[in-house]
Amino acid sequence: MSTPDLIRDLRRAAGRSSVLDDAAACSVYARDASHLEHGRPACVVLPETVECLRQVVELCACHGRPFVVRGGGTGLSGGALPVDGAVVIGTSRLLRLGPVDVERSRVHAEPGVINDAVTRHALPHGLHFAPDPSSQSAATVGGNVAENAGGPHCLKVGVTAQHVRRLDWIDARGRAWTTGRGAAFERGVDLRGLLCGSEGTLGVVTGAELLLQPVPEATVTLLAVFPSLADATRAVVDLMTSGLVPEACEIVDRVMLGAVEAAFGFGFPTDVDAVMICEMAGSVGAAGEDAARAEAVLRAAGARDVNAAADEDERSRLWMCRKKAFGAVGRLAPAYISMDVVVPLGSLTTLVEDIQTIKTEHRVEVATAFHAGDGNLHPGVHYDDRDQDLTARAHRAADAIVMRALELKGSCTGEHGVGLEKRHLIHHQLDATSLQLMRGVKTVFDPHGLCNPDKLLPASDVTAASPVPVPDRPDFRWKSLTVTAPAATPLAVLQAEALTRGLWIPVGAASRIRAAGPGLGGSVTVGDLVDAGTVGPSLLGSTSVGDALLELWAETGDGRIFHAGAPVLKNVAGYDLVRLISGSGGILARPLAATWQLKPAPGCVACWTWSDVPPTLSGESRRDFLRVLRRHGQPAAAVRERASAGPVLWVLAAGRDRAWDLDRLGDDLTAWSEDHGLRRPSMQRQSGSDLANPSSLAGLPGWACGSPDWTLLTRREGHPDWPRPRRLIWQNRPDLLWTPEVIPEEPVGWFADTVFADGRLQSLPRPPAGVPVELLVGLKRLFDPDDRLPVPEWLAAAREGGTW
Amino acid sequence: MSGSLDRTQLDDLRQSCVECGLCLPNCATYLATGNEAQSPRGRLLLLGEVLDGRTDASEPSVRETFDQCLGCLACTATCPSGVSADLLAYVRRLAADADPNRRPPVRLLDRRAVLRTLRVVGSLVRGAAVRLLGAGWRGRLERTPGAGRRLARLLGTLPVDPGSDDALIAQFETLDGGGPRPAVSSHHRAPAAGLRVAVFKGCADASLMPHTSRRLQDLLRRLGCELTVPEGQDCCGALASHLESRGRTSRLRRRNRRAFTPHLGHCDHVVVAAAGCGQELKSQPGDLSDMVIDAVSLLERLAPVDLGPVPLRVAVHDPCHARHGLGVVEAPRRLLARIPGVVVLEPAEAEVCCGSAGVYGVQHPEMSAVMGRRKAEALAATGCDAVVTTNPGCLGQIADGLALVAPHIPILPLTDLVWYAARASGPRKEMS
Repeated sequence: MSTPDLIRDLRRAAGRSSVLDDAAACSVYARDASHLEHGRPACVVLPETVECLRQVVELCACHGRPFVVRGGGTGLSGGALPVDGAVVIGTSRLLRLGPVDVERSRVHAEPGVINDAVTRHALPHGLHFAPDPSSQSAATVGGNVAENAGGPHCLKVGVTAQHVRRLDWIDARGRAWTTGRGAAFERGVDLRGLLCGSEGTLGVVTGAELLLQPVPEATVTLLAVFPSLADATRAVVDLMTSGLVPEACEIVDRVMLGAVEAAFGFGFPTDVDAVMICEMAGSVGAAGEDAARAEAVLRAAGARDVNAAADEDERSRLWMCRKKAFGAVGRLAPAYISMDVVVPLGSLTTLVEDIQTIKTEHRVEVATAFHAGDGNLHPGVHYDDRDQDLTARAHRAADAIVMRALELKGSCTGEHGVGLEKRHLIHHQLDATSLQLMRGVKTVFDPHGLCNPDKLLPASDVTAASPVPVPDRPDFRWKSLTVTAPAATPLAVLQAEALTRGLWIPVGAASRIRAAGPGLGGSVTVGDLVDAGTVGPSLLGSTSVGDALLELWAETGDGRIFHAGAPVLKNVAGYDLVRLISGSGGILARPLAATWQLKPAPGCVACWTWSDVPPTLSGESRRDFLRVLRRHGQPAAAVRERASAGPVLWVLAAGRDRAWDLDRLGDDLTAWSEDHGLRRPSMQRQSGSDLANPSSLAGLPGWACGSPDWTLLTRREGHPDWPRPRRLIWQNRPDLLWTPEVIPEEPVGWFADTVFADGRLQSLPRPPAGVPVELLVGLKRLFDPDDRLPVPEWLAAAREGGTW
Repeated sequence: MSGSLDRTQLDDLRQSCVECGLCLPNCATYLATGNEAQSPRGRLLLLGEVLDGRTDASEPSVRETFDQCLGCLACTATCPSGVSADLLAYVRRLAADADPNRRPPVRLLDRRAVLRTLRVVGSLVRGAAVRLLGAGWRGRLERTPGAGRRLARLLGTLPVDPGSDDALIAQFETLDGGGPRPAVSSHHRAPAAGLRVAVFKGCADASLMPHTSRRLQDLLRRLGCELTVPEGQDCCGALASHLESRGRTSRLRRRNRRAFTPHLGHCDHVVVAAAGCGQELKSQPGDLSDMVIDAVSLLERLAPVDLGPVPLRVAVHDPCHARHGLGVVEAPRRLLARIPGVVVLEPAEAEVCCGSAGVYGVQHPEMSAVMGRRKAEALAATGCDAVVTTNPGCLGQIADGLALVAPHIPILPLTDLVWYAARASGPRKEMS
């Protein structure tokens, strides 16, 4: 249909003033922060309500017109640039930000809300939104979700996908869905995880329930000065493997320092090769002690000078300089290619050195400011775009850097996305099968190719990367903090080995309780964990196994072997097949091997037990209890309801190798008990190394139960080995504690089900009503066309009857 | 100056924009419309297209985009890559040149007699409106259709005059409870030893808020300044400059230079009350600009430590001229911190323009009304008892917004609050 018809229909739906087809708007919306140009839109629509946005998408579908959604236009990979004649849908008028749900640490935001505004909104409640891309003062929540944005402070708590608990979205046909129940544990085909980082090619994000993090009691920001960039990168590896977990760990090189200093006059030394900004946070004592330890590590690694920011003002100025660094590149040259390659931490120094070689080879200038702690580099090749030869060399140099990162088993993009910018590179990273599956996923979601076309996936005639062989034995890469293991490897074996180095896979201890209850006990394997997608309370603050799972080899139902992800801590290259498969109950693919992230293991673990808590806690005591948990970094808590007596309450905490951290939590919990007329809790504590030997955790009922198989919310009344629990409510976040109203009576949710029973993984539960089953049917057909993998009843029914 | 930018300079300036988009949330026109063409980055992209000959500045949508720029400088203040304000001035000039017809109706606005009349009309209209329709008069008129609404906006933006001393005192006493004040007359800090200050009255200040202007002079004298008010001074030229009226701007500048030059040799500062005038004078080359100091910064240096208590929660609105132009952000807060009982509240979007911007409110009444309302909402959301600011333009614009969204919150000149506090610190009769 013709453009005037389309515009007439859009005006009718969205209102005259919301549809712009003038020359100015069409020119401006053809560009974004990426310096790329692709096509010119037919018009720009700025809907004022989500319903209006839905109608716009529906109209585009009716007219067969491609569309692309745009947030703040700060994307660096050209992900929001339209093709010729497309409709650009701007979210700048969708700005509603819901009230902060303090107890559940949540807030709902419409897609146009600026990242920074979420934190400003939550700060009065002592909470903040962790993802903080450098563009956070202008980037929007919708864009953050679409690109799976990161930022310096994602080092400890993960990128956007880990902070989105529920997603409102519109599919390519204009139907609105809500995916995810917002619960602590969800199991099933993780559409939410797939949509995060899909760059708007699968659907349109119209709202997100965001998880907020407590603002730490104390933060110490160190500024370390290094005579050489290589020393600085080596220091990062030393720091990250020292058992410390910084909130952020950034490096700024000499060229970038010069630009930043010219722009903001912070007072950085400009005669050094690199400075590192490293932030430690926690309780007052912990932050100070960790900072002192970090300082010692950095000095030993060659730091010339290490200073802590004097006050909050200095700290915020320091971060402002870091975050606006790339804008300051404008002072060096009119254009730059801001890259975001990621490599395993252990290869960081190699890549940094190779970039210097590439720079000399191609005669270009590179300024770098990067998230060193997760191996995510931002080399910015800057150039004068009026010089054609220089422009060509700059682009060749950028491509060479990406290829080098891929040789080092890295990823071409950790934050900015593939978009337009890396479409010509992505096939070097993906093997033929995963590329084929990604194309299939796109077809399932958007059969007519209207949803942000020409992005993320390469052109059809490319040669994919050669397959990565499936590993046949466990391989620990200590410097990179990862372990790769075949699916059949027992988790307990990996954990025991990792614990010898003070590390572990943060999914909980292997359990001793195979015989005692529903569970797989010590026989939980890597593959089981991938299929189940659940974690123990010990993975504090995480959503699912997908958060710690970096790389996956799997086999589809019809025997195609594919490799997804990369052994790096951040990766947004292509669709997140790792999250899609993990937790899908084995219905889509059979895991063959996986790479996990290793984190410092707890130095000690403790459990506080109250056996006389009332069936429900009053508002105030509950609020105070949750406040104590927030103050202490959200330890897990659980309530077990019993038929014969009152409920039992447990708080399970992992501490570092210092007793006083947990003592403070204990003091606060005791004070809370006394304030609210409860008996003081009993407390057991054990060394973290006991996690290697689950049977030694007998004294810690909570921890012993805290293995993957116990993360279920069980309603297994009448199980012979089980002391008749009516309900066991885990909460890694304060989601479910004493909120029975959110637990459905029927065990149908993605969270309230039995994952393992009698040593076997239970069939995948029926997804809740907000999930488009036809998409799940489509995915099942894509991955397992001949039904050789399990077919849950609900899926079969949906396929046959068209309803379920 | 922007007028003399040649093609090479323009190209260089344009290249300084790296299109990062960090300016968007600071731009009042972008916030009001959600349209990126109405953002600083959008304007510079379009300027590029105009310079490359890909589009024309007289194309209506492009001209409108350029024309809607407030010139508030909020974008350049946040720009990490140092895009120059000259570039946006150039953009506005392009719009003006593309449509020479738009100036005449508002040209008279920088004439003192016109402003004086508007002030009188403003006071009368507001008084009558409040008597007839109550405190919520503005909101009630706003709900009337079409012409009524436009009329309400017109009346609402008429200049605000805080009025005589008695009226001001009465207003403050309603706000802070007006209880008896402890007499703290005993020790004033020794007045600044004979600081000689020439006063730039500014037409907006002198014609729109004569009492406030006089009170500031009282205050300065009391703090030990020796004041001179040079004869023959005129409007600073900011309004004429906003109107892109180049001839008149330079005439006014010449006139002011003539008036002040004889005094510059024997005075320490030239004090300016309105932030808009301050920035205009500062931006001109020559001796005068070096001596210019804004009233708040001067008061902050001079004010006695024992200002009387005023128990009041005030939200501070920084005029763009002060915040982005002169970089005066800390001084008003430090000054207010000296007044016991005053709690300073910071609104959201503090760096965003209120939409007054010289004659912008008259040229773009609808857009300006949206901005004024948004600003008033942000200020009211702080939970303040009153708003203070230092520019007569902002005063009128925000007063209109507040009349709509929070009629109980008055907006007052910051110097009047200091005057009231100084009065409260001494015997009542000394000041009034």
